[in-house]
Amino acid sequence: MDGAAGRLDELLDPVLAPAYAFALSLARNQADAEDLVQEAALLATRHFATYEQGSNFRSWFLRIVLNVFRGRLRTARRRPVPVELGDAPELFLYGKAAELGLLGSHPDPAAAILGRIDGETVTAAIAALPEGYREVAALAFVEELSYPEIAAMLGIPVGTVRSRLHRARHRLQQLLWSHAVERGLVATAVPEPTA
Amino acid sequence: MSRPDRYTCEETFRRLDDYLDRALGSAERALVEAHLATCEACASEYRFERGVLDTVRDRLAHLEVPASLKEKVRRALDSAREGER
Repeated sequence: MDGAAGRLDELLDPVLAPAYAFALSLARNQADAEDLVQEAALLATRHFATYEQGSNFRSWFLRIVLNVFRGRLRTARRRPVPVELGDAPELFLYGKAAELGLLGSHPDPAAAILGRIDGETVTAAIAALPEGYREVAALAFVEELSYPEIAAMLGIPVGTVRSRLHRARHRLQQLLWSHAVERGLVATAVPEPTA
Repeated sequence: MSRPDRYTCEETFRRLDDYLDRALGSAERALVEAHLATCEACASEYRFERGVLDTVRDRLAHLEVPASLKEKVRRALDSAREGER
């Protein structure tokens, strides 16, 4: 293995997990997510000379994943323009915690509701967001990027990032709840008082 | 117009998302934190929302890469290198 190839392997290995989480949040199923990352790895190999040594490789590689995803949307003749999300209720899960009598009686009501939720449930909920919102949410939650960083990556105004992320987060709580209920990961009834 | 020296519950709630995203300036952040320190109802909402966000990020950070993906990536890298030779 030559030096550049070995260097790419070293850089790629630790970013595969976040790249997969990002791809799964965009692609809606495991097979498509794997294909996105595989194609991105192929492109990274071909264009590794354009990677500026010492810069943030994770960010460089996730941008390739994002571009592959967008390219596939275009190929499928679907414009990556977001459907309006509407106003999802704020504090949706907090309301569920209140209904379940967890507020005040449980030391960590959020953990009581979401403690058994897994990564696949989270990515399925993000992937169920409309396009545009999904990209913003995936970058905010997987990469923990700031509003300006997300705006720069997606080429949209900071204010748009902010409003989409707020709406996406509110809707995400509804989606997390319904996915978790569907998978039997949350209690949906008020717990019986212990004797 | 003078700046407020404290936020009401409503003013704090309107800034909760930005506060969670660490997107407030220092003055607004200080006012939100001052309110949360003295209002248990708002602090309870904030702790819950922070808990949800932390759980989402934790689960995403611990998602395992399937063996099938590792194999696909290895094959992709090998084939790209073969093509270059």
